[in-house]
Amino acid sequence: MLEVKGLHARVEGKDILKGLDLTVRAGEVHAIMGPNGSGKSTTAHVLAGREGYEVTAGSVLFDGKNLLELEPEKRACEGIFLGFQYPVEIPGVSNLTLLKAALNARRKYRGQPEIEATDFLAWVRDRAKLVKIDPKMLSRGVNEGFSGGEKKRNEILQMLILEPRLMILDETDSGLDIDALKIVADGINALRSPERATILVTHYQRLLDYVQPDYVHVLAGGRMVRSGGPELARELEEKGYGWLEAA
Amino acid sequence: MSLAAYTEGFEQFAAGLPAGQRSARREHYERFLKAGFPTPKIEEWHYTDLAPLGERRFSPAAEGGAVPTAALLAGADRLVYVNGKLDQAHSTAAARHGENPLLTDGDSVTALNAAFATGGLSLRLSRNERLPRPLQVLTVGVAGNAPAMVHQRHRIELGENAEATVLFQFLGQGAERLTSHVVEVELAPGARLTLYRVQDEHADATLLTRIDATLRRDSRLETVAVDCGAGLVRHDFNVALAEPGAEVALAGLYQPAPGGHVDNQTRIVHAAPHCRSREQFKGIIDAKAKAIFVGKVIVQPGAQKTDSEQRVANLLLSRKAEVNAKPELEIYADDVKCAHGATVGQLDDKALEYLRSRGIAADAARALLLRAFGAEVLDQLAIPALRDRLAVRMGLAVEDIFEETVGETAE
Ligand SMILES: Nc1ncnc2c1ncn2[C@@H]1O[C@H](COP(=O)(O)OP(=O)(O)OP(=O)(O)O)[C@@H](O)[C@H]1O
Ligand SMILES: [Mg+2]
Repeated sequence: MLEVKGLHARVEGKDILKGLDLTVRAGEVHAIMGPNGSGKSTTAHVLAGREGYEVTAGSVLFDGKNLLELEPEKRACEGIFLGFQYPVEIPGVSNLTLLKAALNARRKYRGQPEIEATDFLAWVRDRAKLVKIDPKMLSRGVNEGFSGGEKKRNEILQMLILEPRLMILDETDSGLDIDALKIVADGINALRSPERATILVTHYQRLLDYVQPDYVHVLAGGRMVRSGGPELARELEEKGYGWLEAA
Repeated sequence: MSLAAYTEGFEQFAAGLPAGQRSARREHYERFLKAGFPTPKIEEWHYTDLAPLGERRFSPAAEGGAVPTAALLAGADRLVYVNGKLDQAHSTAAARHGENPLLTDGDSVTALNAAFATGGLSLRLSRNERLPRPLQVLTVGVAGNAPAMVHQRHRIELGENAEATVLFQFLGQGAERLTSHVVEVELAPGARLTLYRVQDEHADATLLTRIDATLRRDSRLETVAVDCGAGLVRHDFNVALAEPGAEVALAGLYQPAPGGHVDNQTRIVHAAPHCRSREQFKGIIDAKAKAIFVGKVIVQPGAQKTDSEQRVANLLLSRKAEVNAKPELEIYADDVKCAHGATVGQLDDKALEYLRSRGIAADAARALLLRAFGAEVLDQLAIPALRDRLAVRMGLAVEDIFEETVGETAE
């Protein structure tokens, strides 16, 4: 589904990614861990197409298509979803407006008609229940006045509504209380299917207890320095990253 | 400054007037002649130079022209003027048209208007009378054979507790034009006037408007002004809160089209205690456009318990955009509440990115953010058909401004 090869990327003249490789097949869950500043968010943003990141070498294929030449909104329409480490507040644009515009953009991209207003509201209500968000909150501005945990749950809600094929979640588990973590994990698991894949960027084993990864990678210095199974995450939790760099 | 062409025009105009009116008109014209067009040397005209108009040749507009029927509002009564002349065929409220007294006289522009003014809206409501529908005063400038000028006087007088909604709409098509409108408003105790002013002028046009309002005890004036044209536009808004309990709320949204210049000058005088004034102006300014807002609030001695607030926010869409926003407070009473604030900002790149990452195309994402910015003002325009049309015209349209009822219907 996703094939990243030898990816080099820079931000503001600074090389951040230095030859990153990653292959994700449909149905898989990959966890990316690694020290602060190692390039995890950069990787997520380059995949999602955020402006300001210059790809200097390497390739990214999504279902065989060259992802790097697509605008961010086209990538989203192709089925990529990025859960932001720091979700943005947009006062004046309601959550519902965002969701409806996003949903219809996708449908248009696929040549489908716009969704009926009543179907839309029923769908949103149904999904909101999964993440225990009061639908009334959705009439407010996007993330406006949401607590840190509510913002993260809102990311998951958007994901549940848009039903992407590749979910990239950048530290969606950070700053969550135990109950919220469970809700977020349930949301992710609800979308797990043989057709979909997930990339979890995380610092903690906790999330991985709820969402079992198939692969765990350690990103350091802009490259994957180690890949393994779920046991690698537990090892990291115990030993930290020092032993990897030393090795 | 040679104003010869204007003098020529005036003689021609005066010759057509009833003999009894000529001398009064001549006095106004002489005063204009003496002062000439305002230049930036005059404080109130610091940002807008009308001196070049002195060299132009405008003749009083003779020709009429076609009415853009798309601009006619359903559900409203109408007065339609084409190049200053009443268009009977499209006016459903022709009885509200009339010659108005030339009371307001101030700067040279007002004198020029007084010298040449033809009639306009003449709305007089008696005690407790209510207009059942909004009254649309549509003034259209159309291209003629020569550069034309149009000057009109309008008057709105509401008796005690009377209520009305009036929309002044200034539309322009091609060709060089000079247009001025003076609107006099008198609100008796308890009267309520909602006044909308919408401007969509052509790049070759100069539009000068002035609204002078006097508010008596417990009366209320609410205005929403929208500017989206490309012309050289100057609006003066003078409000006198003359008796206790009077209240004014001015809202404005200006987004001059490329080449446009919009100068808003508000002057609110708190002349009596216990009056309230609110101003909320928002600007969206792109390169090649210029916007000015100067908001003067004068609290006279004795106007205790004045409650005044002025908010101005400008959004610059380009580094080359030019905007000036200036509050001017003169406060001569001590027990008052006067707040003001002005901000200048850019579209939030992070918000744009976020919307795009959800699949929303860049231009739609921009429209969403612009709409969010302008909505506070635009949504106060309580004529949905007009409001939606303006949103589209200004690139602020969001396809689905649907009723957000998900909360209410949730179990
Ligand atoms: N816009 C930017 N301008 C300059 N440097 C940047 C920018 N964005 C990221 N960087 C730098 O790139 C490096 C990688 O940042 P990134 O956010 O990808 O790290 P991360 O692995 O997600 O870290 P964390 O675990 O703290 O979230 C950091 O050194 C960071 O300072
Ligand atoms: Mg990060």
